[in-house]
Amino acid sequence: MIEVKSLSKTFNQKDGTMFKAVDGLSFTAEDGQIVCLLGVNGAGKTTTMRVLSTIFLPSAGTASINGWDILTHPQKVRENLGFLSGDTGLYNRLTGREFITYFGRLYGLDEGRIKYQIRQMANLLDMHDFIDKKIDFMSSGMKQKVSIVRSIIHDPQVMIFDEPTSGLDILTARNIITFIRECKNQGKCVLFSTHIMREAERIADKIVMIHKGGLLAEGTLEELRADTGQTDLDDIFVSYINRQNTEAEVMAHEF
Amino acid sequence: MNFNRALVVYKKEMLEMFRDKRTIFSTIILPFILYPLIFIGTFSLMSRQTAKLEEKGAVIALADSVNDNASHLISEQIKTIKNFTVEPMYQATPRMFEDKLVHAIISIKDSLQSSGIPIYQIAVKLDKSTDRGKMIADKVNVALKNAESKILEQRLAEKGINAEFISTVSIRQQDTSSTAKKLGSLLGSILPYLLIMLLIAGASVVAGDLVAGEKERKTLETLLVSSAHRNEIVLGKYLTIITFALINVAVNLISLYFSMRNIASQSGLQMAGVKFPLNGFLMLFLALIPLATLYAALLLSISTFSRNMKEARSYEQPILLVSMLLAMSSFFPAIELNNGLALIPVINISLLFKAVMMSDYKVTHLLLTIGSTIILDIAAIFMTVKLFNNEGVLFRSESDTSLKGLKKNKKAFFTPYYGLVYYVLALLALYYIGGTWQSKEIVSGLFKTQVIIILLPVLIILRLVKADWKQTLRLTGTNPVNFAIVPFIAISASILVSLLGQLINLIYPIPQDYLEKMSELLKMPDLQLWQIIGLIAVLPGICEEVLFRGFLYRFYENKNAWFAIIASAFLFALFHLDPYRFIPVFFLGVLLGWLLYKTNSLYVSMFSHMLNNALAVIIMQVGNKGILGYLISDQGEINWLAGIPALVILAVSLAAFSKINNKQEDILQS
Repeated sequence: MIEVKSLSKTFNQKDGTMFKAVDGLSFTAEDGQIVCLLGVNGAGKTTTMRVLSTIFLPSAGTASINGWDILTHPQKVRENLGFLSGDTGLYNRLTGREFITYFGRLYGLDEGRIKYQIRQMANLLDMHDFIDKKIDFMSSGMKQKVSIVRSIIHDPQVMIFDEPTSGLDILTARNIITFIRECKNQGKCVLFSTHIMREAERIADKIVMIHKGGLLAEGTLEELRADTGQTDLDDIFVSYINRQNTEAEVMAHEF
Repeated sequence: MNFNRALVVYKKEMLEMFRDKRTIFSTIILPFILYPLIFIGTFSLMSRQTAKLEEKGAVIALADSVNDNASHLISEQIKTIKNFTVEPMYQATPRMFEDKLVHAIISIKDSLQSSGIPIYQIAVKLDKSTDRGKMIADKVNVALKNAESKILEQRLAEKGINAEFISTVSIRQQDTSSTAKKLGSLLGSILPYLLIMLLIAGASVVAGDLVAGEKERKTLETLLVSSAHRNEIVLGKYLTIITFALINVAVNLISLYFSMRNIASQSGLQMAGVKFPLNGFLMLFLALIPLATLYAALLLSISTFSRNMKEARSYEQPILLVSMLLAMSSFFPAIELNNGLALIPVINISLLFKAVMMSDYKVTHLLLTIGSTIILDIAAIFMTVKLFNNEGVLFRSESDTSLKGLKKNKKAFFTPYYGLVYYVLALLALYYIGGTWQSKEIVSGLFKTQVIIILLPVLIILRLVKADWKQTLRLTGTNPVNFAIVPFIAISASILVSLLGQLINLIYPIPQDYLEKMSELLKMPDLQLWQIIGLIAVLPGICEEVLFRGFLYRFYENKNAWFAIIASAFLFALFHLDPYRFIPVFFLGVLLGWLLYKTNSLYVSMFSHMLNNALAVIIMQVGNKGILGYLISDQGEINWLAGIPALVILAVSLAAFSKINNKQEDILQS
């Protein structure tokens, strides 16, 4: 499970000013649950996920992955975490098998386990025809499958997908969505971010809306619908934005 | 740190590099083709050139004004030279010589020696600046020597003396500079440069790809979320660069060695007893290892800092350029390795190579070279690891450095980028305009430089960006006690910096004429003492502090205070355009920056700067070049003991100062 506790991330800009990319964000994602981090471009989705995956250190607050704190046990966090993003690159000069094996070794898995995992996943994703091809010669769909296997080679309990379908064609994007559902069925905790409302509507058990680094709304689709009186997620999102703006105006008015 | 994981990274990087055709071609295949081509090509070209020249022959005009048996013998010898056409002297011959239709004029005259025996005087006129001229001279010399011994034989035969009678001593000269040594000196000047450049080129091909390349291909993120620790990743990549750089050098050395042996056996050098110093080649390779590790670390940190490979390439350029200049030191025959030079990177390896090739190197130099390189190496690795753990560097984004952005945000003006631009302009103005003023008239020149070049532009710019100049320059009041402590700091620091100067002088002796010039400058016989203090101490104390601690410091304080202190001190030291004073002035700059940081008041650093310069002036005036001679590092005795009380006073006064000025609010920052 993922627990995010008043997480903030501030970047120093070159002109000396500070930019708050994530601002006191809290939410949780349970095992066997798909939680969607929803927000427009620049809302702080990628920064949040980078903090959760220990690429960035938080400026304030903390979070835990499968019970391990990102500040005190970053190594354990990485061992329990699979990470996949839409624009992830691969090492083109390696074959699919070499690429996956490399990451398996970095996770400290023994050779037998790596081989077994690759065989299992190749069966599941129908990869036998191309797994020994150089990545340079693979289609984007093949590459995406290699990336999927790479992200799950160490069988992590928590999966984080950062805009996993952005820039992919429909068929490849479908593979990802199927994979995300498969992760859920295996009882893993899944956090995935997108700015495409329809995608969230389709697979999310819970939606976490963020805007300008802060939490906008959190709940199941039904809860959000009931709260706003809207059915379409697009409309729900807009009505939350409007609500926040009016609240800000009222605040400004009162003081 | 798990070494196995670093090894996993290393193996994968090596595999990837070996799969890159361009890398393999430039590091391994090219050297194996290049040297044989260069050596065999040049050699065969040269020998063909010589053969061609001999085939072409020459036209020689011969004027024999003696016309006896002996002179005929001389003419005969010249006529036997292959491919030479010998014609008599005509009226037009001198003109033809000018027009290069005749290549040499030989005239034979005779006269009598005091004993009455005739001597033949042979004048050879030719142009030795051309290859043909040299060839003619060689051939004619041989012919004339033959003629001489034949004539001698005839004369001895006339007197009935055996020709062997005149050979009294047989001299066989042996050149003590062995052929290997000669070859070494030739190779010694070219090889170090070549190998150092190859090493850097080999390392940079790989380094750019390893981190900047990962950023460009968007694979870095995946690597960072794997359970490999960042230091393990750095180590794996670092080893990859070193391996490739060394493979490149080894391949080049091997190819070079065999090409040279090949040439030597073809040209008959081997017969003449030339042995190629194989162990010398091995030594070179070993000496290159520390340098390879240093460059691997440097280039890896550049690669880490760069957003993409193109950016990495452009950041590598200055390093390549500086290394090239340093490596060229082996070209100069007068430069030899000493203990001081053995501490300067690249120059030391370059000169050590030369010494090894000439097989007279000293073990101390070898150790100093390797030791100093390793120290730098550790510093560079430390920097790389630090950079790699800095998320701001790893995920650097484009910053707005346009003037439009500047107008929108006034605070955006104080960025390191603009600081550097301003500094470079000021430095150019100092060098070209200030230099001209000072060479015309020193007193007014110094005054104008301080006021017009150093002070005025800062005030104008602050006006232009509409900044509050008093706050920006930190012209704010401070605890009066500070002014009581500063003299202790300034004086003790002056003593220590002066000792440091002496220490530097031991390693890099300062030329005597330079010292004399410096003391002339500070004495200024036409002026009163108070006038000199005004010009050398008070004025720079105000103007230079405004520029360096007041203005330029602002550009570098966004990162952290120490960065601003070091950066402004570095620029301050460089501004003096004087390599001998660089280190002492740098330390002074650091101290002044710290005083400013602690008090947030420019008045304090101004006061300290004035005191420091005034001390130097007074010491010069009094004429005592003793331990306080801050700018003058005497060749004479150094009173090291003076350092101890100075150190104690400095430490105590700095501690007191630090305690009094615990935290000062800066209005601009809060």
